[in-house]
Amino acid sequence: MFGFLLGEALRDLRRAGRVAISAILLITLSLAALGAFWLLSSNMSEAVTQFRERVKLVVYLRREPGTAEASALVDRVRTMPGVGAVRYVGKAEALGTLRQVLGKDAAVADTLPQNPLPASLEITPTAEGATLEGARALVTRLTALPETDEIGGGVEWMERFAQGQRLLWLFALGVGAVLAVAAILTVTTATTLVLHARRDEMEIMRLVGAPEHVVRLPLLLQGMMQGLLGAMLAIWVLVACYALIGPRIEPLVSETLGVARLTFLRPHNVISLMLAGTLLGGVGGWLARGRPEA
Amino acid sequence: MIELHRVWKIYSVGPVKVPALSDVSFRVGKGEFVTLCGPSGAGKTTLLRLLYRDDVPTEGEVEVLHQDVGSLTRVEVAALRRSIGIVFQDSKLLPGRTVYENVAFVLRVLGTPRREITGRVFDALRAVGLSARAQAYPAQLSAGEAQRAALARAIARKPLLLIADEPTGNLDEGMAAEVIEIVRDIWAGGATVLFATHQATLAATLKQRTLTIHSGRLVKDEG
Ligand SMILES: Nc1ncnc2c1ncn2[C@@H]1O[C@H](COP(=O)(O)OP(=O)(O)OP(=O)(O)O)[C@@H](O)[C@H]1O
Ligand SMILES: [Mg+2]
Repeated sequence: MFGFLLGEALRDLRRAGRVAISAILLITLSLAALGAFWLLSSNMSEAVTQFRERVKLVVYLRREPGTAEASALVDRVRTMPGVGAVRYVGKAEALGTLRQVLGKDAAVADTLPQNPLPASLEITPTAEGATLEGARALVTRLTALPETDEIGGGVEWMERFAQGQRLLWLFALGVGAVLAVAAILTVTTATTLVLHARRDEMEIMRLVGAPEHVVRLPLLLQGMMQGLLGAMLAIWVLVACYALIGPRIEPLVSETLGVARLTFLRPHNVISLMLAGTLLGGVGGWLARGRPEA
Repeated sequence: MIELHRVWKIYSVGPVKVPALSDVSFRVGKGEFVTLCGPSGAGKTTLLRLLYRDDVPTEGEVEVLHQDVGSLTRVEVAALRRSIGIVFQDSKLLPGRTVYENVAFVLRVLGTPRREITGRVFDALRAVGLSARAQAYPAQLSAGEAQRAALARAIARKPLLLIADEPTGNLDEGMAAEVIEIVRDIWAGGATVLFATHQATLAATLKQRTLTIHSGRLVKDEG
């Protein structure tokens, strides 16, 4: 039975012709836009996550503690909530690092009358410690330490980045929604045409006593097929764009965002897009269903 | 099998009221062969359409297969129609499908198992002598072939009740006789038959009970 209904739906789809094609293309457009934003956004999240892992707070100390004193301080800081790892950096080590950074100009460091760099603690926050609130709380706690002179590093810029990402999503949903409504309307138009072409079939079906769902299912199915076809096209477009544009912008992206490779949509995203397309088409088919049959 | 009790059907065309059926009452028992005779515009099609609830009477009761047709839900109407085979006056063959597909379509729509379909379609086509034209489209059929294809579609489901609305409508005598023979065979197989025609001579040759209607009134019930 289902095979038969599917066959009928395919026949209808052929009859809807050009309108069905524009409906399919509109669904392609709306889902490709949604998918592209999704792709962008998931790569931005990836960047944020990587930044979080790399983010460090530096607590500059008022004076260089003795060895025993330093390890006691490290132990104390390590027990604070939000703190993942703590490393003590003495004045000498800090200067060593500076020399390395200066490279061939390292000689400049030797001209200094004394080591100007303070001793410090390098703190890697835990995941909670790396959020905006977590980092703020952590900074407050670290500032309260009598040994603390000043605190460097922060996560605020990163949060702004994440906010930008949320804004992008909102924009994507807006654009996607407008396109989706257009797509639904087009599917409805296509289905209304089908309905018109199909009224002989529907009349005979009703007159011989076919159950109502058998009379109507082909219409719904052809709508869903329009949607699914649109979604598959959209995914194909996204794959093509990813393959063509991805390698070109990867160097730029890895420089600015620190993400080495752009990732494509995950399988569950792809499945969601296909479901969304089928749903869009189904809604279009369903809306047309209630139109006059005569 | 069929019972009409004081049935009126009045069509309103704007302010004008056209009584297509006026106070019609009769019964048809199981296994009867009844001819419904009357000139063009007498109300034959109108009466038949009430039986499968394609329309409802303005007044009066219609009972078919022990069911009060007026009070049926949509699902019950569908169930009722499944036990009735109908040959429509305008045949209603789907133009985009072959004779085979037209007959198979109705079987498929009603959920006949796939493997049974081919056999049943050809049984029906053989019964009306149309096996050789199975792959023809309706536009390629002669009037008589089209009537027989419509008849094949109606009998493929082996209905308890066969309603045929002028299946011999525009056929010459020889062809009409052929179609009538087919309907008789179906009747002999146990179905109740209601056969509408505007040809009084044809009704006479059938030698069966004949209901005659004139301007919406049942004027004669004999045979
Ligand atoms: N839907 C309708 N609206 C208005 N009047 C109608 C409608 N259907 C039928 N009539 C009128 O009802 C009367 C009976 O029509 P009906 O079709 O039942 O006649 P008939 O006996 O089947 O005729 P024929 O032999 O030509 O098929 C006619 O006068 C017709 O004009
Ligand atoms: Mg008629």
